[in-house]
Amino acid sequence: MNRGLLIKSLREVWIATMLFALALMVLEAIFAYVLPTFADQFSTFLLQLEFAQRMLQALLGTDIGDQIGPDVFSSMAWVHPVVLAIIAAHATILSTRVPVGEIDRGTIDMLLGLPVSRWGVYRCELVVFLASGLVVIGMGLAGNQLGARLLESKPPLAVQPLLVVVINLFCLYFAIGGLGWLVASLSDRWGKAVAVVFTILVGSFLLNFLAQVWPLAEPVSFLSVLNYYQPMLILRDGGWPVTDMVVLTVLGVGLWLAGGLCFARRDICTV
Amino acid sequence: MNVIIVEQLTRRYGRRIGIEQVNLEVPEGVVFGFLGPNGAGKTTTIRVLLGFLRPSGGRACIFGRDCWRAGHRIKEDVGYLPGDLRLYPSMTGTDMLRIFGSVRRRDLLAPGRTLAEQFVLDLTVAVRKMSRGMRQKLGLILALAHRPRLLILDEPTVSLDPLMRQHLMQHIQELASAGHTVFFSSHTLSEVDRLCDRVAIVRDGRIVADESLDALRAGAKREVTIRWARDVNPRDVKVPEILEIHHRQDRLWQGSLSGPVPELVRWLDSQPIEDLAIGHPDLESLFRRYYQPEHAQE
Repeated sequence: MNRGLLIKSLREVWIATMLFALALMVLEAIFAYVLPTFADQFSTFLLQLEFAQRMLQALLGTDIGDQIGPDVFSSMAWVHPVVLAIIAAHATILSTRVPVGEIDRGTIDMLLGLPVSRWGVYRCELVVFLASGLVVIGMGLAGNQLGARLLESKPPLAVQPLLVVVINLFCLYFAIGGLGWLVASLSDRWGKAVAVVFTILVGSFLLNFLAQVWPLAEPVSFLSVLNYYQPMLILRDGGWPVTDMVVLTVLGVGLWLAGGLCFARRDICTV
Repeated sequence: MNVIIVEQLTRRYGRRIGIEQVNLEVPEGVVFGFLGPNGAGKTTTIRVLLGFLRPSGGRACIFGRDCWRAGHRIKEDVGYLPGDLRLYPSMTGTDMLRIFGSVRRRDLLAPGRTLAEQFVLDLTVAVRKMSRGMRQKLGLILALAHRPRLLILDEPTVSLDPLMRQHLMQHIQELASAGHTVFFSSHTLSEVDRLCDRVAIVRDGRIVADESLDALRAGAKREVTIRWARDVNPRDVKVPEILEIHHRQDRLWQGSLSGPVPELVRWLDSQPIEDLAIGHPDLESLFRRYYQPEHAQE
């Protein structure tokens, strides 16, 4: 691993990473503080309403069953659209930096004018991406714990299931990154690459949402990456969603490798 | 030993031809001028040499290694300044020297500072606050700091002031005299005339001339002005074929010489002339002729 490349990438991403991390931390702290209180106000009667149940299911992306406990509300903190948007935005921005980001701003000529292989550059970007993802999601977890501890009336959730949730979230982050890399390796304009990734992610989110309220969408829900990220089940049932994590990881690795192959073989045109 | 070898190199962009069947050999220790009008294929050739573009046909080698397959190894000994230079806006010159040094695994800060003094550049300024000329200087410093065996410069004097051009010329000459090779793409003929040992001219993606500058000079026309000592009748003067007279005014004749000077002098020795002026080889008109499309030359 080339130290200089790592320093260069870290220098370029640390501000954005810290901003995303702080945003997620604050958001998670608020959710961890507010949602359990909100759960108390949700009467059992309201939850008997099919509409309310459906909306909760659509939001959580999974069947919530008959029993609605604090785990359902706690898991909302990890599937809220703003949380997912922060994770997806960070993953997209970082994973599309190379090569398309560098091509678009013309700096790739200087970068590849150095004695570094394209795979070397690509690997360094992956390391920085993973490290930044750890910081963002780790800060989110810290915020969640902070918010839960501020709420003295409720005992905070056990850390172990939350850790499983954030690991699953990290796998989702990696899968989104893989998509970003593949698109970035096939594109010449950064804005276009981001738009393509964003469109696919919105489609994925919508598919997961629709699958809960529209039976016709259910058979194809496996196409959505969010289908493999269900914090409520983890918090409610415990255990490790091994299959989901493997699917997301394999997807991320496969897309990253495909992106790397495209980058290594493509022409670099900046003029 | 040839530092750069290009054989039958072709690069197409879809149906459009970037370069076609280009052959080049650049020996070690020379300053090689690469000339051509806009869109002729200069930058395409350079980008193939740097491994940015994959050849559609033929091959390009630097230091005996294939530019596409072993590009990153080659670049350990290559310094490159792109024609359309873009640098990382948030970094200062010092940052870039540190990072590039770290990538190259050598200290570039000390030589970079020395170069910055020569080029009068403040390395503490962020790239985004630099003028175009300052950025060009920084690009040159980054290309030169590791004293590469091969320096590839794509129109390096663009946006440099005359004094800085002078510094760059000196630096390139020093490098060449120390055995380094410089591949120099330019539009400025005076620079090429002053610097280069050898020149290749590319037009419409093909090499139309590849000769030493001395050979080109020998082939270039010279302006000749003759003042006769007395009135002469043009019909009585048998002008040699190497001299083409295009202006006559009383005793003053002007023409262009397309052959060796001694031959002209020998002829003039027997003529009643009062004064003679022979200009430098007119490379500009020679290059202009090469630059023109084929039909225009005919």
